[in-house]
Amino acid sequence: MHISLQWLREFVPYQGTVQDLADRLTMQGLEVEAILDPFESIAKIVVGHVLERVPHAESDHLSVCTVDVGQPDMLQIVCGAPNVAAGQKVPVATIGTTMPGGLEIKRAKLRGVESRGMICSERELGLSEDHAGIMVLPESFRPGQLLTEALGLEREVIEVSITPNRADCLSVLGIAREAALGFGLPLTMPTLNLREDASAGDAAKALRIDIADAELCPVYRARVLTGAKIGPSPDWMRYRLLAIGQRPISNIVDVTNYILMELGQPLHAFDRALLKGDVIRVAPATPDKEVGRSITTLDGQERKLLGSDLLIWDAERPVALAGVMGGANSSISETSTEVVLECAIFRPGTIRKTARRLALPSEASYRFERGVDQVGSLFALERAAQLMAEVSGARVYTGIAASEPKPWATREHGFRIDRCNALLGLELTPEFCRTTLTGLGCPVNDADPANWRVTSPSHRLDLEREVDLFEECGRVHGLDRIPAVLPKISKSLDSVQMRDTEFGFIQNLKAWAVGAGLREAVNYSFVGTEDLDRLNLPVEGRIKIANPLSEDQNVLRTEIAPGLLNNVRHNLAQGNACLRLFEVAKAFVADETSDTTARENSRLGLLVHGARHAQEWPWEQGEADYQDVKGLIENLLVHYRLTSAANPAQYVLEAAHPYLEPCVRVELPGKGGVKLLGRIGRVQPKIADGYHARKDIWLADMDADLLRELSRATTPAFRKLPVFPPSRRDVTVICPATMHAQAVENAIREIKPKLLESLALVAVYAPEDKADDSKGERNLTFRLTYRHAERTLVDKEVDKEHTKVLTGLPQKLPVRI
Amino acid sequence: MSDIKSFLEGLDGLTLECEARRGQACSLKDLESLRVEFLGRKGKLAEAMSALVQMGPADKPAAGKKANEVKNALSALLESRQAELEAAEAQDALAGFDPTLPGRRPAPGSLHPVTLAMQEICEVLTGLGFEVVSGPEVENDWFNFEALNMPPDHPARDMQDTLYVSENILLRTHTSPLQVRTMMSRKPPVAVIAPGKVYRRDSDITHTPMFHQIEGLLVDKNVSMADLRGTLTAFVRQLFSADTKVRFRPSFFPFTEPSAEVDISCMLCGGEGHIGTEPCRVCKRTGWVEILGCGMVDPNVFRAVNAAGVGGYDPEAVSGFAFGLGVERVAMLKYGIGDLRMFFENDVRFLEQFS
Repeated sequence: MHISLQWLREFVPYQGTVQDLADRLTMQGLEVEAILDPFESIAKIVVGHVLERVPHAESDHLSVCTVDVGQPDMLQIVCGAPNVAAGQKVPVATIGTTMPGGLEIKRAKLRGVESRGMICSERELGLSEDHAGIMVLPESFRPGQLLTEALGLEREVIEVSITPNRADCLSVLGIAREAALGFGLPLTMPTLNLREDASAGDAAKALRIDIADAELCPVYRARVLTGAKIGPSPDWMRYRLLAIGQRPISNIVDVTNYILMELGQPLHAFDRALLKGDVIRVAPATPDKEVGRSITTLDGQERKLLGSDLLIWDAERPVALAGVMGGANSSISETSTEVVLECAIFRPGTIRKTARRLALPSEASYRFERGVDQVGSLFALERAAQLMAEVSGARVYTGIAASEPKPWATREHGFRIDRCNALLGLELTPEFCRTTLTGLGCPVNDADPANWRVTSPSHRLDLEREVDLFEECGRVHGLDRIPAVLPKISKSLDSVQMRDTEFGFIQNLKAWAVGAGLREAVNYSFVGTEDLDRLNLPVEGRIKIANPLSEDQNVLRTEIAPGLLNNVRHNLAQGNACLRLFEVAKAFVADETSDTTARENSRLGLLVHGARHAQEWPWEQGEADYQDVKGLIENLLVHYRLTSAANPAQYVLEAAHPYLEPCVRVELPGKGGVKLLGRIGRVQPKIADGYHARKDIWLADMDADLLRELSRATTPAFRKLPVFPPSRRDVTVICPATMHAQAVENAIREIKPKLLESLALVAVYAPEDKADDSKGERNLTFRLTYRHAERTLVDKEVDKEHTKVLTGLPQKLPVRI
Repeated sequence: MSDIKSFLEGLDGLTLECEARRGQACSLKDLESLRVEFLGRKGKLAEAMSALVQMGPADKPAAGKKANEVKNALSALLESRQAELEAAEAQDALAGFDPTLPGRRPAPGSLHPVTLAMQEICEVLTGLGFEVVSGPEVENDWFNFEALNMPPDHPARDMQDTLYVSENILLRTHTSPLQVRTMMSRKPPVAVIAPGKVYRRDSDITHTPMFHQIEGLLVDKNVSMADLRGTLTAFVRQLFSADTKVRFRPSFFPFTEPSAEVDISCMLCGGEGHIGTEPCRVCKRTGWVEILGCGMVDPNVFRAVNAAGVGGYDPEAVSGFAFGLGVERVAMLKYGIGDLRMFFENDVRFLEQFS
């Protein structure tokens, strides 16, 4: 909201600076976002006096003027306007001036004649659309005077951000009230001087107002004017509207905008000659009937209507979309003379619904949906009618055509000063509170000193409850003067929180990932349908965004991978080829049984791509592969004590996965059956190609919720350290290359050699020469550690057990030792 | 009969000779042969000592004593040379050691700056006594708006442009639904914070459609706005610096009354508004930086949760405060990040700066 300081001063005698005003308003809750100079772009334009004008020798439309701009040197200016004449006072842009459009005025030659400046049209100055000729200024202006000063343009404007509760501040009057309150100044309303003309007619007889539902429209009033002459508004009104960023249109329309900006009351002017019958009806749209199912608004758009939209009708048809926009069939045009000036109040929710559905936000609907002062609306109508008569020469009918089925009912609230102080943490005195409330326009009845009765004024629709009055007292006193006290935080013993919160676990998980040398990525929870399709993810279960910002953000990710893969693309494009990323975030799947129709599952995603080590020397170089990701996962499971010799995690090939190949399921057998902790795999090369990755992308997608649940149950259990030495034996098993190491390990364990403490794969050797006998075979070397808890082992007994393994394995599996 | 005098001279000569020759031993091996030559069983000392047998009894003690002294002296000479040679050898072994070669560095991991800021904020607040709670990111209209005093068609909903899943299901626009969820599930007193992702239908240079917030809620008997101010003052002092000042500006949030925006003194210019003669780019000359929104829990919120939950939230009996802050904003201020969009590109050159 833009407020001109000069306009404001018509309501409150504030003499301070614009900066002080801005600071004060900000600390009162009306945040001033900027102090603007709306005419900064023409600040350097000066008044010039055309002393002489002669036709250009080389041109039939150019003139060569000698112009006095208050400097000792007269300027020679070549001007193309047809209306330029000697003796005129004109606006001049001198050399070095930048015009509002960005054009810089330079010394120039026009058909051989030097020109040292430009005589400007109103359009060139941004003052109107008029470009027929140069702007001719009043005789009284002095050469050399700044144009902005000569025209009395308002240069100090504040831009105020108004919170939705302060509908009352959406006007000069509203801000003036706050300034008056803040600086202890009186508020003066403009004097009403409306002259009715009995000879014109009686409005109440000329027009009947018919309101269908008092809830939708508690009051509708109209003034009737005749003999209006449509034309531009007077300069002062045009310049003032321009100063606050409003485009002047014509005198009648400008008055409605002027009053809207000044008093916050939206108005509408109908061309009465275009209205059928002598009735204005306020009633909802009738989508099921021929008439009333749609309306063509002022902007020429036909709008389809719902039964919840409120219309203004004449005797036959809708003529305006109430509170939102007028109809094209009844609007003021250049030839209008008869005017019906509407001033009404509409139900906020109704206006909001319509304006939002039709995407038709306007200054009017913005105010109606926040609430307009019903009592104050009468004054707005009278002032508007007065101004209209003044600027258009219209005569005003006597009286008002009106219907007020639901007059404003005053609202009274209790006010307990001790509660006020308890909530604010202040010690406000009754005197302060009384002065403040009264100053806000709230009559106070303090017959009961402990519980006052306070009436809120009609312009403060937000003062609905006692607590709203507390806020006002705090605001006027200054919230910033509330002392700081550190509260004692007491807790109920019943709700003492357990240590392992979701947040805590996730922080811990992230700490693990950082320790494992991964960098955290954070991606949007939504991706594009394409991102999911690219990974062949099922369409079923996707949660779509109904009103996405763009197509690449229109669905919630059902897995963690799409975001990380997009990061690969971005980083590769930036030349970052060695990637070790992780992300902990939710994946979303539709679930009708959930309150929110979504099942949210925290996932841990890991991704490695490119060189195993970003650092070259002294590491051995190589590309990241399965062992790198699996190692991370093995480390993760150890970190959370989820894997043990007794119950090791299983890594099982999954036959078909939408986007991983190979894909390995990480499973944990347990009491409740096998739990799927997640998957490890390589992004299928064709899909990786879509991310411009030339090297393998290895991914792990782990269920963080399940990790949390399982890790919660684990506590380290201390085992005594062994006292007696172990005895180790290696066995190399020659097995088909297709046989998994796990199968061999399982077979060894099934043989159940006594005294076996642990078992580890220590070497894998696949003969390079595929042509020899060993084709399709590889050697796996396991180290078996034997130990007795109570004595030192002798070779003989170890050999006996180990022999069982050596002879047992070829019987169980197609292997050689 | 040997002459004691020449015997003694002979021994002294051994010492002198050893002293002269030990420097020529350039390796431990040379030195070993030297040791054998002088001190070995058939060495020079042993040879000289053989004369002792023929010595008269009167001379024997003096000769013996001398012989021992010489033996010790020879040993000492050889040992000191050995130490020298060993030191030299050790030094030779180190000659190829280059301490400036790079180390074998494990891959460095890093937290995202949002996580870094969030952890820091949560650490400070849990230190003040708040517990951390979490909740769903896909929310019901009721939790996100209605229970928070934003009925349908209320203009306050404009403050938060919403991404919808269906008519009543949306992506939470703030972490405030956690206020409602917490109060519905447990009776006062409560002191919780709720960090998490939030979503708005807004995307430009200063807005991303997803960002992170931390909500705080304290409800108990007699909680006042002074408590709120105290908590936030303690919070920003710990988060930024001990001399950070706090400013409350009246504002409006549907779920708090009174409501305030909180500004803190600008950390870049120290609240001066300028650095030297240059205007401060962080606070734009005001000396203040907007950091969070807060207020006293609106009685309508208490009524909504009281009716729908476990109870205990009669607005006449309890009061409370709530606050919410944007994590990216804090991260930008703390780490000097200028461009909001960088947070979600996950460029490793960006991420590695937060190692």
